[in-house]
Amino acid sequence: MDFGYLKNKRLLLVDDEQEILNMVISILNEEGFFNLASAKNVREALALADSFRPELAILDVMLPDGDGFSLMEQLRQKAEYPVLFLTARGEDEDKFKGFGLGADDYIVKPFLPKELIFRIMAILRRSYKGENPLVKLAGSEIDFGRAEVIRQGEAIPLTAKEYDILTALYRNAERIVTIDSLCEAAWGENPFGYENSLMAHIRRIREKIEVNPSKPVSLVTVKGLGYRLITGGR
Amino acid sequence: MKSIPRLIKRFVGVMLLSSVLLLILNVSLFVLYTREQMPNAHPWKMAEKVAKGLRRDASGYRLPDTLAGQLRQSNVWAVFLDNETMEVVWQTDNLPETVPMSYSASDIAGLTRRYIDGYPTFTGESEDGLAVLGYPKDSFWKHMWPSWDYRLISQLPKTGLSVLAVNAALIFLIYVIANSRLLKAVKPIAAGIQALPAREAVHIREAGLLSELAISINKTSDILQTQSRQLRKKEYARTNWIAGVSHDIRTPLSMVMGYAGQLKEDAGLSPAGRKKADVIVRQSQRMRDLINDLNLASKLEYNMQPLHRRNENLVAIVRQAAADFINMDIEARYPLEWNTSEDLTMCPVKADRDLLKRAVSNLIQNCMNHNQKGCTIFVCVAAESRTCTVSVEDDGIGVSDEQITRLSHSSHYMVCDENQGEQRHGLGLLIVRQIAAVHGGSVVMEKSPRGGFSVKLILPMRE
Repeated sequence: MDFGYLKNKRLLLVDDEQEILNMVISILNEEGFFNLASAKNVREALALADSFRPELAILDVMLPDGDGFSLMEQLRQKAEYPVLFLTARGEDEDKFKGFGLGADDYIVKPFLPKELIFRIMAILRRSYKGENPLVKLAGSEIDFGRAEVIRQGEAIPLTAKEYDILTALYRNAERIVTIDSLCEAAWGENPFGYENSLMAHIRRIREKIEVNPSKPVSLVTVKGLGYRLITGGR
Repeated sequence: MKSIPRLIKRFVGVMLLSSVLLLILNVSLFVLYTREQMPNAHPWKMAEKVAKGLRRDASGYRLPDTLAGQLRQSNVWAVFLDNETMEVVWQTDNLPETVPMSYSASDIAGLTRRYIDGYPTFTGESEDGLAVLGYPKDSFWKHMWPSWDYRLISQLPKTGLSVLAVNAALIFLIYVIANSRLLKAVKPIAAGIQALPAREAVHIREAGLLSELAISINKTSDILQTQSRQLRKKEYARTNWIAGVSHDIRTPLSMVMGYAGQLKEDAGLSPAGRKKADVIVRQSQRMRDLINDLNLASKLEYNMQPLHRRNENLVAIVRQAAADFINMDIEARYPLEWNTSEDLTMCPVKADRDLLKRAVSNLIQNCMNHNQKGCTIFVCVAAESRTCTVSVEDDGIGVSDEQITRLSHSSHYMVCDENQGEQRHGLGLLIVRQIAAVHGGSVVMEKSPRGGFSVKLILPMRE
């Protein structure tokens, strides 16, 4: 699956440590992100925001002339785009505050390059999903834009619940998504008692996406824990 | 306070006991003392005996020798008055000269009730006359007016009992007044002493019977309050210090980890070089985990970790921790087996979701850390009537009994106040224990029947 279009997004990096900026830029460059701009404080970041028009901001929380939380609010007054915090503040309280204010993710330093890339890609996929609605699977394709599965040239529509479940699986493609998270994605918070409904929906999704629904290869069960969506791109 | 009624009972008991003892003591002292004295009616009886004992023969009256001997021994004189002549018809040899030899009726009445020339006199009558015994001067004190109102005697038992009751009531009243004052003074002091171990601030009015005690208790409370404030301050300082250090280390460490992570994937590097970079990555990850653990452990230890306890499903939390682990274990060296019964979909607990997930992750991580060559990890959630148990086991190298004892009993260096060699390292299990404790649960460590190590995290089920 080609995510290349996501790597052309404009990323704004704000951190008061030049060394960290250099490293993050080097990690991003290596992964193919070249539309980058960096700032060392709130003032520079706000000035850059007007000319650079970022599509994702990666912010430190503690900055010499302010804090990342209020910077996020100021940036979002100009334009709405996802924000990822990258900070040495590991306290849960800070995380809750960040998420409470509408951050899309919160990474505590130190971090692995892979982890950073994975989270950035996840945010971008989530925020700019409309631009690539087609996901290739072993025996079919999912068109999220039209809520359809295309198998052997035939378009099969997805129900709303099936769409929600597949979206949750796709956002965490290749990873186990627990039964509870899937129920929450489909039925909202406190989704107790929907396990059997979920199984029924999974069965129907398999009938749509799998070549042989009794031997699934794209939507696999992890016994007792949840399900995993294997996309054809990898 | 429970001890006050007990105190009152004790006081009443002591009072009753002391009254009874006093009574017994007095009675026995009186008995002991009077035993040494001549019996009360003795001279009267003696006079009676003498009157009956006098025999009249041709030469006049004669007293038997035994009686005469007794009189002589007690130094008693005696006369016998004839009924008709009212004159002395018999006398002992030791009769003082001052004793008259003839008597009128009023004389007789007088000597019966009083004395003759200071000699206490006692009378005993016979058919023919009257025997008069004169005891030595100052040997008896005669009290000869005993006459009482008849009602007094007839109602004596009732009166006596009433008097006794009034006495008892009075004593009780005195006791109650005296003790209630004491109790009133003791009560705030007792309350203060009870409040001290609860670390409450105590201030008692420093007046009254026990004001000195009150002052001491107030002082003690002040000292305790100051001490706990200082202790809290120190704990804050320590926790803040650890938090600060871990924050400051994170930035340089992220550079080490970030660049090493890049080098590890760098195709231009030799396989040996990439392997070295991988070691740096893994060690910096260890360092990161250590910093996070240290921070969390110190906060949990000093109750500075904010708790967000909500109604949660334990199965979902453990499932997420297991899924996260599998998602991270890219090389699949540590297969995880989910052993929870399929029927158990809900296990209600009131818990901080993130902390519980952290505890379970720590247990899984622990299996990994101690089995470098890989092992299978078994995760299971079970519900009993009132508790939920999360067990994490492995089939790895396992532990010896001594190790389990040591893990269960010796304290971690972070919470150890002695400089002993027995301290434990490895924060993972300490944190699990602390998290269990803040949720009112417990941790059991044992050998797994699968050959490895087994840890059970037992939590109370939500009502």
